[in-house]
Amino acid sequence: MENHSSDSRDPAAFLSSIIGAPVTVKLNSGVVYKGELQSVDGYMNIALEKCAEYVNGQLRRNYGDAFVRGNNVLYISA
Amino acid sequence: MADTGEQGESVSEPLDLVRLSLDEIVFVKLRGDRELKGRLHAYDSHCNLVLGEVEETIMTVEEDEQGQESVKTIKKQSEMLFVRGDSVVLISPQSPS
Repeated sequence: MENHSSDSRDPAAFLSSIIGAPVTVKLNSGVVYKGELQSVDGYMNIALEKCAEYVNGQLRRNYGDAFVRGNNVLYISA
Repeated sequence: MADTGEQGESVSEPLDLVRLSLDEIVFVKLRGDRELKGRLHAYDSHCNLVLGEVEETIMTVEEDEQGQESVKTIKKQSEMLFVRGDSVVLISPQSPS
């Protein structure tokens, strides 16, 4: 978001601004998910499309869609 | 959000993905290297789940005398399972294969 209103300084607003973008999600366990960000909610629950799961940097599995429970999330990188 | 309460096919919040998987086979990843595959009968906002015809896979790392580590998987079947939401990591609808 280009404007610097108090609105866009809200971390949640950042998350809604990257919906539809390819993202990297790292969990507390170290597992990494890469996919297209479908949606996020207030718990930081995440829906990913065309999602790939990486364990120790190695591709483990592919999911068409995946729901990730928010409490496991370490970061979301756009 | 303007579109909350909408009951269409849209995925406007992450849990909609779970709602669209009701009565379908889902894959669930749990804490502690456990995975479940089964039919989703019910869920709530905590991700408490009720699954039917479940296959549970438990992965453990075993060390032999030489100190060689190998992954061992144990499978268990259950007719019906209630899963407490706090152990859920990921839920994915399984495209029927």
